[in-house]
Amino acid sequence: MFGYRLARRDKPLPGGQFLAFAIGLAVALVAGAILLVATGFNPIEIYIEMADSAFGGSQAISNTLTQAVPLGLAGLAVAVAGSMGLWNIGAEGQIIAGAIAGTWIARLGPDLPGPLLIVIMLVAAVVGGGLLALGPAIAKAHLGVNEIITTLMLNEIALRLVRYLVNGPWQDPTAIGFPVAPVLPEQAALPTLFSRANVGVIIAAIVLVIFGVFASRSKWGFELRVAGSSAQAAEYVGISLRAKIMTVLILSGAIAGLAGGIRLTSSDRIVEGIAEGWGFAGIIVAALALMRPSGVALVAIAFGALRVGGTAIQTQGVSDSISEIIQALVLMGALAAAVFTAYEITRSGSGTGVPTGAESISGSAEASAEATP
Amino acid sequence: MTSTRKALLALLTILALVAAACGSSADTATEGTDEAETEESSEGTDGGESDVRAAFVMVAPVGDAGWNFQHDLGRQGAEAATGAETAFVENIPEGGAEFDEAVQNFIDDGFNVIFATSFGYQDATLRFAEENPDVTFEHISGFLMNDTNMGNTFGRMYQPRYIAGMAAGAATESNTIGYVAAFPIPEVIRGINAFALGVQAVNPDAVVEVNWTSTWFGIPEETAAAQALIDSGADVLSMHQDSTATGQAISEAGGTFIGYHSDMSAQVDAYLTAPVWNWTPRYSEIIEAVEAGTYTPEAWWGGMVDGVVDIEVPESSPVASEMQDVKDSILQGEFDVFDQGQVIAQDGTVIIDDGIIQTELTNPFDPDAVVASEGDEIHDGVLLNMNFFVDNVVGEIG
Repeated sequence: MFGYRLARRDKPLPGGQFLAFAIGLAVALVAGAILLVATGFNPIEIYIEMADSAFGGSQAISNTLTQAVPLGLAGLAVAVAGSMGLWNIGAEGQIIAGAIAGTWIARLGPDLPGPLLIVIMLVAAVVGGGLLALGPAIAKAHLGVNEIITTLMLNEIALRLVRYLVNGPWQDPTAIGFPVAPVLPEQAALPTLFSRANVGVIIAAIVLVIFGVFASRSKWGFELRVAGSSAQAAEYVGISLRAKIMTVLILSGAIAGLAGGIRLTSSDRIVEGIAEGWGFAGIIVAALALMRPSGVALVAIAFGALRVGGTAIQTQGVSDSISEIIQALVLMGALAAAVFTAYEITRSGSGTGVPTGAESISGSAEASAEATP
Repeated sequence: MTSTRKALLALLTILALVAAACGSSADTATEGTDEAETEESSEGTDGGESDVRAAFVMVAPVGDAGWNFQHDLGRQGAEAATGAETAFVENIPEGGAEFDEAVQNFIDDGFNVIFATSFGYQDATLRFAEENPDVTFEHISGFLMNDTNMGNTFGRMYQPRYIAGMAAGAATESNTIGYVAAFPIPEVIRGINAFALGVQAVNPDAVVEVNWTSTWFGIPEETAAAQALIDSGADVLSMHQDSTATGQAISEAGGTFIGYHSDMSAQVDAYLTAPVWNWTPRYSEIIEAVEAGTYTPEAWWGGMVDGVVDIEVPESSPVASEMQDVKDSILQGEFDVFDQGQVIAQDGTVIIDDGIIQTELTNPFDPDAVVASEGDEIHDGVLLNMNFFVDNVVGEIG
């Protein structure tokens, strides 16, 4: 009846996070079920197929983990920057930069022994991703240039660069003109763990655990959060904001670069679409993890499972569009849950008079202003 | 800290629930498939249907009137012709994890023929072929294969493009024909040259002006390129693209459109005809060969005689009978576009004379690799590495 607004809860909803996620998931699944019924499918069977293809057996789990690796690292890249209040929208480009750097190493030393070649490729990927973030880091730290714009636009630069390379200097002479680079040396492939999962899972797990612990337990992580919540407070206690911005953004780029290196060493060769949208998906992962590095791994596994399930139900005849809508519904449900664990809906105003359009518009504007981090 | 832990706990609980649900659901799902399979096999014995189950992987949505649309028609056609069960997935990126998941799902579900219909799938397809010797793989538009269970398929689109060029040459009044082209790779260049030779055969005064977009599917780029050609005087447009944007542009300008991929008469007012893909015969052939146990991998480059490429001769064209004659001689194997008369490059060099190579030709991506020497007879390598424009083409490669 009256205006409503989102207000930050004084205390987190007691025991409410589970409830919120359960409700978010349930609402999403019901909405998806309506779509499935409308298009002639039994939603129970389709949901069972989704879950089974993501977790039912070692092969399913390997598929989920393979998706979770780039999702987790891209999510971590965004979350590390996000825990200081910075937005790295450039993980997509940094993944490409990492893959380019890795490919460059493989071209320089195609005869190096496998373990050495892979390690140098991954290190180069880390450096490549970090380098792409260097510009935005300097611009933000020293000139105050908005990092959202710079990191976002560098995605385009990275995409154009890989496009140029596979259409030009790196084009495979045997590919009858198609824009692909030559296949990587055989020993540049990450060793397999089980089914389709490779050593990339272990590398990503180690990185995620280190950063999860480091960000929540160390002085460095504490300083990040202080700097993120109040720049003035940070400078007052002697934290150098410039140095923090530089290290955090470069680190963020380097982590995304590692994702590119792992994708490269899990692929046959670099292609224009090597980043596959992982970098943008990483923003969703980080948002679902509430920008906390410690939460990224679980979200990445859940998101990876969702994507694997989404592909699997297509083989049952569900169209790609419906599959993507269901995935989006689940993500929206989870995001809504994340919002409602931190915020509650309260009535605004004293409730006099008839509600007008203008009132409800102002109400929603207020709500969005409050909800913006 | 506590809220982090609670969040983790909540997520863990959800995951545990999901995992528990999967544990019990796995059995149900398997039962489900078993039942389904039993039903199918009994149907199979009754109706004498195929025991081949064929799955198709597509790179973009199938409803696009282009490349993927034609593959989906081919899938439906092959299903009707052979009785084999088919299924498909669409919008699967090249070189990514989703391709692996989709193909593995199909194999696990008992599909025994996999058609991978985009160039960038070929590395992964070969990998799957090595891992799954009991499954047959056919890759479209690439060059990798093995000796046992993976072949590749493509079509001689340049044949119908020559006939399309005849229609264009007869239709133009300004003697400028525009061609919106994707990437300067041999496949596209070969198509432009064949088209231009067709134009030349009926209208020696007309030129084919090329405009590159550097995209396969880019409506704004295609529209801009088409408009630029119209502005420079073209009244007939053709294209090597995945959308109908070129056709929309020339319809608005009141000219004539020669399409590509499929019959675009429903989408484009100015449509005259189009060189089209028709995958049904080839897909049926492969499915039947697998069924009979006679499948042998090959690098299959089929032409109009195999039905994989085709063009409808428009009765309204003033050169309809000439077009039909060429079509007949291609179908009878008497004519193959580049093997007769003189093929002259833009700079005046005679490249081919009555099927005999007149100058050394190299791989455009590896200039040290000689493809054909002076005096050689023309062969597919010359076509597959084509890197020059014929003399009535205006524009540069690249």
